[in-house]
Amino acid sequence: MKKLALAFGMSVAAGALAVSPALAQFKTQGVSDTEIVVGTHMDLSGPIKSWGIPASNGAKLAVEQINAAGGINGRKIRYILEDDAYDPKKAVLATQKLIELDKVFSIVSPMGSATTLAPLPIVQAAGITNLFSITAAEFTYAMDPNKPEDRLKFNIFSPYYDQARVGIKYLVENKKPKKACIIYQDDEMGKNFTDAYKDQLTAMKIPLQTMVSFKRGATDFSSQVARLKADGCDFVSLGSVVRESVAILTAAKKSDYNPIWVAFSPTYVPDLHDLGKDVADNVYGVGQLEIFYEDTATGKIKDFVEAYKKMFGVAPNLQVTSGYNGMMTFAHYAKQCGKDLTTDCLINKMETGEPFQDIFGQAPVKFTKTNHLGAEELLVAQVQNGRWKAIATKQTYK
Amino acid sequence: MAFKIRTGYEGDLSLFKTPQAIASYGALLLLLCAAPFFLGSYFLSQIVFVLIYTIVGIGLVLLSGYAGQTSIGHAAFLAIGAYTAANAAKFGVPIYIYLPAAGLLTGLVGWLVGLPALRLHGIYLAIATFAFALIVEEILARWETVTHGNEGMMVKPASLFSKPLGEWGLYYLCIGVTIFVIVVAVNVIRSPTGRAFLALRDSETAARSMGVDSARYKTFAFALSAGMTGLAGVLYAHKLSFISPEMFTLALSIEFVMIIIIGGIASLRGAALGAVFMIMVDPMLVLMKDKLPALIGAVSGSPMAQDKASVLLATPGVKSLIFGLIIIFFIIYEPMGLDGRWMKIKTWFKLFPFYRPATFRRQKMYLKSERGR
Repeated sequence: MKKLALAFGMSVAAGALAVSPALAQFKTQGVSDTEIVVGTHMDLSGPIKSWGIPASNGAKLAVEQINAAGGINGRKIRYILEDDAYDPKKAVLATQKLIELDKVFSIVSPMGSATTLAPLPIVQAAGITNLFSITAAEFTYAMDPNKPEDRLKFNIFSPYYDQARVGIKYLVENKKPKKACIIYQDDEMGKNFTDAYKDQLTAMKIPLQTMVSFKRGATDFSSQVARLKADGCDFVSLGSVVRESVAILTAAKKSDYNPIWVAFSPTYVPDLHDLGKDVADNVYGVGQLEIFYEDTATGKIKDFVEAYKKMFGVAPNLQVTSGYNGMMTFAHYAKQCGKDLTTDCLINKMETGEPFQDIFGQAPVKFTKTNHLGAEELLVAQVQNGRWKAIATKQTYK
Repeated sequence: MAFKIRTGYEGDLSLFKTPQAIASYGALLLLLCAAPFFLGSYFLSQIVFVLIYTIVGIGLVLLSGYAGQTSIGHAAFLAIGAYTAANAAKFGVPIYIYLPAAGLLTGLVGWLVGLPALRLHGIYLAIATFAFALIVEEILARWETVTHGNEGMMVKPASLFSKPLGEWGLYYLCIGVTIFVIVVAVNVIRSPTGRAFLALRDSETAARSMGVDSARYKTFAFALSAGMTGLAGVLYAHKLSFISPEMFTLALSIEFVMIIIIGGIASLRGAALGAVFMIMVDPMLVLMKDKLPALIGAVSGSPMAQDKASVLLATPGVKSLIFGLIIIFFIIYEPMGLDGRWMKIKTWFKLFPFYRPATFRRQKMYLKSERGR
């Protein structure tokens, strides 16, 4: 037994010595004369598949369109999609498979916070880029000056925190409410909203008012609404996801309580007025792009809706745009590298600050050497006649 | 059943039943130690996850297979180990201290969870462990100063003497911990404690009338199983480098129970085979999804069939369907799990051409505790 332990100890020591810390070196793989291999993992069979399936379909449509138009400087994109079932363990394995077996040039639009964060060190150690993760978590774009490998990550999705600050700022300035309150889901998402609420009101030198919380999955909001009403709140931020938002609005309607409501991206979706009907009227929403409708779409959005319907048989929803825009943004910057597409070149081109304008009319995506979050400006919309309508664009809190 | 006939006490006392066992396990260990030299990190990662699941599986085999206590809350023990490691690493505690400490701490928690086990049986105990898992999940989400709540926390890479272990180091560490856990388990099983576990499982009344202290052994079973899972939790945290409460849910606990159901409920080898199954089938199905359509196209000679196959295999959920079908197949046709199948195949070769299916049919049993031996 002792011998075994000794042998084992020696092998551990040998293993430890054999591995020196990997220095970050950007690597280019998966680019041939005829194709560029791009990989991703999304949840296609787990708890957030209602996001993963449309987003991956959006990316597939983008690849189809890019390839039909001749690819990126003559190279076709080969898109490899893996299912991580929202399990970080599977996400790690899927990422290693993409990097080692498929030799992908870049990981574009992986989905979820934990499922992106767990494999991120592997992507960075491999020296390839991790682009536009479909999560607004800070680590997907935050840069540590001491870590050159942090240059490999970029994102284009605005965090909840920014959305809440923009929405509160806009409405406090324009509507001059007496008491600004917030109702929020008691979890990480809610924490982002309450942080933003506190910071924004403090920045505007307005006293904090009632903050009421509810548990994830709650269905009855009468006590929270009664409290908001009793405290005289005339402006309420909705730190909730769409189903709970509808329930809150319905409860308020029942007790004849009509403050100014503002919602953020979890509620800024067509489902709000589809589910809520007239209770959703006049609610404000903050998001990155103007919500489009199949029957009123025009121009490029109309072409997009038709192409998507032709390919998948259903009309596209808002989730589709996240995968579509991710791939299109990648293609836009990859194109600028011309024939010698390398990871270094891609990063340099992205960091020039040259903007990318998508077809959905959101504020242009822009990166710099110090800022890898492409989304700065947001828009404010309002439900009018049962549909979202943009009322102010290019809003920031800074 | 086929039994090994022993002719002396040495045979009964030795860690390995036969010289062949020493040779085959030694070869396996050599192969595992040499694996980094010829396998890429994708496959190494799979082996690391297999080893982590094996450790948890062995903990559960001791608890469920031998001591007869159910648990659907083992994800919580994994979480406690993982968060202990993450916090200890944050404060610069060396790994040779926090690895055993995490095991001990989780063992202590397991001992506390074992206390209700003295009064609860079967499904009620399962519900109690489930409730425990929910409580732990909630604590992880609320105790923000320590766990960073739902945001989750990064885990510093494992390092030894301020040198990072790296991928290989973690791999060898996993092998070492697995061997340690196996040796502990084997020794517990063949000691009086293990026999007390079996006695308690088969008839508590009988065991108590023979002087087995049921409270002591039941709580010990829980503590031991939890401690092993806690060790696995440390490795899990370092392997994933990021942990958050949503990773340690009921689904993970159920996965752990599936390890031992697929592997064979009262067999250490079964735990390892079950872990291999749980981890490696999914990547195999992924590879199949990539390679099979081309093969079908080549064999059938029609690109149409190739397209159809690739569309079908890429449909989300097909992988889960195949996975589920394999599990149902096992439960119906091989209740003894992968380990039972392995034994039957081995016996078939050993007895060729005299193997009869009846060899494994249960005949008259005097003691229920003959099961699972």
